[in-house]
Amino acid sequence: MKPIDRTMLGQVMAPVATARGLPNPFYTDPEVYELEKAKVFAPSWVLIGFGKDLAEPGMAKPVDHLGVPLVMVRDRDGQIRVFQNVCRHRGMILVSETTRLKGVLRCPYHSWCYELDGKLRSTPHVGGPGQNIDASIRREELGLVEVRSTVWMDMVLVNLSGTAPAFEDHAHRLIERYSEFARMPLYHGGPDSSFKLEVKTNWKLAVENYCESYHLPWVHPGLNSYSRLEDHYHMYEPGFAGQGSSAYTPGFGPNGERFAKFASLSDKWDKCAEYPSVFPNALLGFHNDHYFTIMIEPVGHDRTIEHVEIYYADPQMLGEDYAAMRQRNAQLWKGIFVEDIFVVEGMQRGRAAPGFDGGKFSPAMDGPTHAFHHWVAERFAA
Amino acid sequence: MALSRPDLSALDTALIAAHQADDREAMAALYHRAAQAMIDNESMEEAAFFLTQAYVLSLDCGDREQAAACHRQLVAMGREQ
Repeated sequence: MKPIDRTMLGQVMAPVATARGLPNPFYTDPEVYELEKAKVFAPSWVLIGFGKDLAEPGMAKPVDHLGVPLVMVRDRDGQIRVFQNVCRHRGMILVSETTRLKGVLRCPYHSWCYELDGKLRSTPHVGGPGQNIDASIRREELGLVEVRSTVWMDMVLVNLSGTAPAFEDHAHRLIERYSEFARMPLYHGGPDSSFKLEVKTNWKLAVENYCESYHLPWVHPGLNSYSRLEDHYHMYEPGFAGQGSSAYTPGFGPNGERFAKFASLSDKWDKCAEYPSVFPNALLGFHNDHYFTIMIEPVGHDRTIEHVEIYYADPQMLGEDYAAMRQRNAQLWKGIFVEDIFVVEGMQRGRAAPGFDGGKFSPAMDGPTHAFHHWVAERFAA
Repeated sequence: MALSRPDLSALDTALIAAHQADDREAMAALYHRAAQAMIDNESMEEAAFFLTQAYVLSLDCGDREQAAACHRQLVAMGREQ
């Protein structure tokens, strides 16, 4: 593998007015994609799933995280844990589909059994038929390999390397900015509030596109009719960047009916909605009456899956009375995200142009986009 | 009371059916019954095997009471920790 050119990284990390974007290989080279797994994802807090998929104690959901088999488990105390989805015996995959475990986590191969906190509980016939102990099998050393994890805004995030600062420290500005939302329960809208889009692009282009509002009048003219470009502002903070709107005026029913608002929000949220991209792969949408997360799942250097999950402030919003409004809201967002597909796929195809220099940024309009490029370049330079 | 040969054969048939249906509760109960039969026959090697099967399946299906009973017996036999 060719080493990453540090001069080029310096150009990306230059001030926005003189910087260039990440060059072509960061989008087109499978070797750079492999390197990203180690340089960008492993040391970071990365979104891999949602607590709502583990509704009850005993629920387990397997996750293929950039080729690493993981399993999210809600233990008997209600805590979500993440383990390598691999038996310590012969490396068999433990959980193949989302399931509700009544008891232990039993390997389907030789039935080694693990508690939901990862402890190895039993090793049947390990010392011969009917003999379940062996001097060389020390159960206390053979628990499941736990991956450092945390849950915030129903997002299950992992730090594979185990070296990142605690999430509370790493994301303190994010946590602080959205503390009014995070202190309240979120109610997922159910199947009609969950969808995914498969896109032929590098994951970074999906993140980049979410960072800025510059494209809104051209790509989302419908959105522009009630949320004009001049109503938007940018955000730059350590670990996240994005944009907000100061003209959020929802109405989802035929007569302008609305969803219940989150309680006790400050006045700012009467009109504001914010859309931070939390690096590397969590795109969030805060509104006074609903919230969404887009999990950006890279599945190749030029393939990405966007998982969208929409939440509400009040359990009443999950009822049949609100089904049509929920569906309308989901369709509205889906329509907007579908409108973005041709640009993120078009930018991916554009990276095949020899000598494309990473592109020029508009200092006025592309600040958050540059912040993301800068963040990625920093990881490679470290 | 020790099980006769025809009884063991019926148990074997029921176990195969439970395996095919992936009925773990039934498997756990049947293996436990088989283990007790072997204990009654003083066939302790076979008893330990069946008890192990019953123990693991009881753990799997969250039958704490049966799992604890199997565990106690296996520990007493020096087969589990």
